[in-house]
Amino acid sequence: MDALSGLLHGFQVALQPANLFWCFVGCLLGTIVGILPGLGPAATIAMLLPLTYKMDPAGGIIMMAGIYYGAKYGGSTTSILLNIPGESSSVVTCLDGYQMARKGRAGAALGIAAIASFVAGTVGVVGLTLIAPPVAAFALSFSSPENFALMCLGLALVVLLSGQSLIKGMLSMLLGLWLSSIGTDLFTAQARFIFGQAALLGHIDVMVIAIGVFAIAEVLSSIEAGDDAKVLPVPRGLRNLLPNMAELKACRFAFLNGSVTGFLLGCLPGAGATIASFISYGIEKAVSKHPEQFGQGAPEGVAAPEGANNADTGGALVPLLTLGIPGGSSTAIMLSALVLWGVKPGPLMMLESPDVFWGLVCSMYLGNVMLLILNLPLVPLFAQILRLSAYILFPCILGISIVGAYGGSMFNLGLVVAFGLLGYLMVKLKYPAAPLILGFVLGDNMERALRQSLMMSQGDLTTFVHRPISAIMLGLAVLILLTPLLGHLNRLRVRAITESG
Amino acid sequence: MNRRHLLAGAASALAAGALRPAFAEFKPTRPIEFVVHGGPGSGNDVFARALTTIIDQEKLSPVRIQVINKPGGGSTTAAAYVVSKKGDPHVFACFTNVWLVDPLVQEAATNKLVDMSPIARLVVEPALVVVRMDSPFHTLADFINAAKEKPGALKMSGGSITSRENLVRQLLMKATGVRWAFISFPSGGERIAALLGGHVDMMIVDPSEAGEQVRAGKLRVIAQVNDRRLPGFPDVPTIKEAGYDIPNVPQMRGIVGAPGMSAETIAYYEDMFLKASKTAAWQRFLTESQLDGEFVKAAELKAFLAKFEAELREILKEAGAKVVR
Repeated sequence: MDALSGLLHGFQVALQPANLFWCFVGCLLGTIVGILPGLGPAATIAMLLPLTYKMDPAGGIIMMAGIYYGAKYGGSTTSILLNIPGESSSVVTCLDGYQMARKGRAGAALGIAAIASFVAGTVGVVGLTLIAPPVAAFALSFSSPENFALMCLGLALVVLLSGQSLIKGMLSMLLGLWLSSIGTDLFTAQARFIFGQAALLGHIDVMVIAIGVFAIAEVLSSIEAGDDAKVLPVPRGLRNLLPNMAELKACRFAFLNGSVTGFLLGCLPGAGATIASFISYGIEKAVSKHPEQFGQGAPEGVAAPEGANNADTGGALVPLLTLGIPGGSSTAIMLSALVLWGVKPGPLMMLESPDVFWGLVCSMYLGNVMLLILNLPLVPLFAQILRLSAYILFPCILGISIVGAYGGSMFNLGLVVAFGLLGYLMVKLKYPAAPLILGFVLGDNMERALRQSLMMSQGDLTTFVHRPISAIMLGLAVLILLTPLLGHLNRLRVRAITESG
Repeated sequence: MNRRHLLAGAASALAAGALRPAFAEFKPTRPIEFVVHGGPGSGNDVFARALTTIIDQEKLSPVRIQVINKPGGGSTTAAAYVVSKKGDPHVFACFTNVWLVDPLVQEAATNKLVDMSPIARLVVEPALVVVRMDSPFHTLADFINAAKEKPGALKMSGGSITSRENLVRQLLMKATGVRWAFISFPSGGERIAALLGGHVDMMIVDPSEAGEQVRAGKLRVIAQVNDRRLPGFPDVPTIKEAGYDIPNVPQMRGIVGAPGMSAETIAYYEDMFLKASKTAAWQRFLTESQLDGEFVKAAELKAFLAKFEAELREILKEAGAKVVR
């Protein structure tokens, strides 16, 4: 079945009233789950699994997917308003989103996040519709050495995330890398840096660190700065609550960048939306004409990561639907759900169960429209939260943070407080927090890819340059790392010219 | 309180005492916590939720069974939680091999499965040895002979070194004297992608994960890791039939209660799961997930676990894992 007749068939399935209803239920649940920090789409889908046994497979998968991509829409809300990342893939959104909110552009930031999510979410589905099989083949050619090179490229972004001092950025990143090595080592089954705490045998949850160093640290430093009586500016009037033309225009490239980066990284098993959001943010800053505005409330800094984490869902469904390979936890549950419903997810699914495949793909076009309609009216409503005065807002932020970090473990509560204090110290000493999260997110993956590559090549390091994709990405990483040096040399040259002239 | 009350009380106490053997049967009185060591959506979680749904639908339990996730450190967090509920008749967990392996290799994992209250083993999961369709290997012997020619050059993908696939590899390498590399990937998706992409040469995988790839002609099964041939693969020899006499390493799932569970309580739950395992819904779930239902009762299970733990200790030592207990 080619894409056109597939789409025709798919819309017939997706537009059935029952399936439209399930799509809406999924999108609504997803938005709610996305807004609540700590409750992720994977957990929600798993909890709903027993309720879906009797459902029609097409309706069931349409609803589950709705939760999955709907959560990416909601994830930005608390990141922007309260500096609490709603999902791990919305951590980067805090950097510029929260700064926009502080400048009275909370509504604009939320609106941009919703629009970026819609554009990229739709582009992701278009990709899934048109180029799924070749992209899946490309994803299979991508192995550990390429993965390692990709992670190196990601780490090189530290240069762009560091702010004033590169040294401080690097130190912060190193701390993140070290934190990512805590826990059981996959290769040897040995525990590392657990200090006798069995609770550390699993890895630390990125949400615990992010909530600590962003939300709690922000509350602590605001209290210290005596901001407690001050209310954040929220402009009156609907027009001022939505993004203006200048802001949307600034985001043109970010929409595209987020869409492409998110979709491609989503296809790779093991990369994931969090990494995609960081990388698209880095690309955005690297090509920007005014990189100094990033971290100070640049609208592109919201659009790129929010786009990337939505396009990622389209990408992640490529290996799931064309090869039967799940890339992450949410898609793994969808895979087991398909099996329970008697659908056989695998290379033959597109042919044998066109209802499920094309029904799902088409429902995602509809779902993205539903989510945009659902989320835009919520923007002015959510922006009003910032009218609350600090003595109400701060305890609320702390409460949400603690609930978000809990995840069934008292140990996490101790950890989130510790990371809050660490974040506060970092603010005081002007260490940027973003590189720490970057190091943490990439570190585990990077170490694993390096060791896998060396095991595959029997210890031969040249494997990284013999493989073309990996060589190109490593070259790019070196180039990015050298940019500050080049800038420095350029300044010296200019000074030499002016002095001699 | 007057004398009559006292007498009546004493009489009823006596009666209760006398009748105890007949009415000793335990019945749960509050919701049961069903502990799962993986996060929502992990294999174990899906298994436990399917089981709970069937017990619910068939009304086999008078109280609600609530699945609770205690992920972290393999089985360690869940095991610690179960042990902290010592003596509580309303807590049981779904165990797998990891519950035996973790305390053997982790200093910090102090709670052993055999010290809790094993209730029943429900299933054993077979596995398949698979290669890519365009691979030159058509039998397990082909692979092993090739590995003999180029020691260490062939590769297989799998999970941690304590996973079943690595234990089978260790046993095969010991029996044949050849070596090949084992490359760890955290998720099943990455393992199978590495094989499909041609980055590794072989993998040992659950039939549920590889079945569709085999049907689509992407992967070929060259042997099965099980005591007998699976109905879905009647023409593929087991490892033993292929000529390699190694002990089978069963991958199992079962139910274990909090430590100190009384014999009556264990018998009650054992009966509940036995009934559940005989339902048509459960049989359908097993077929769809390609699992072997092999119910083992509590008494037999305890002895089996102790023996299996001793065997695992030896295999792990040979696999190069640091065995701490």
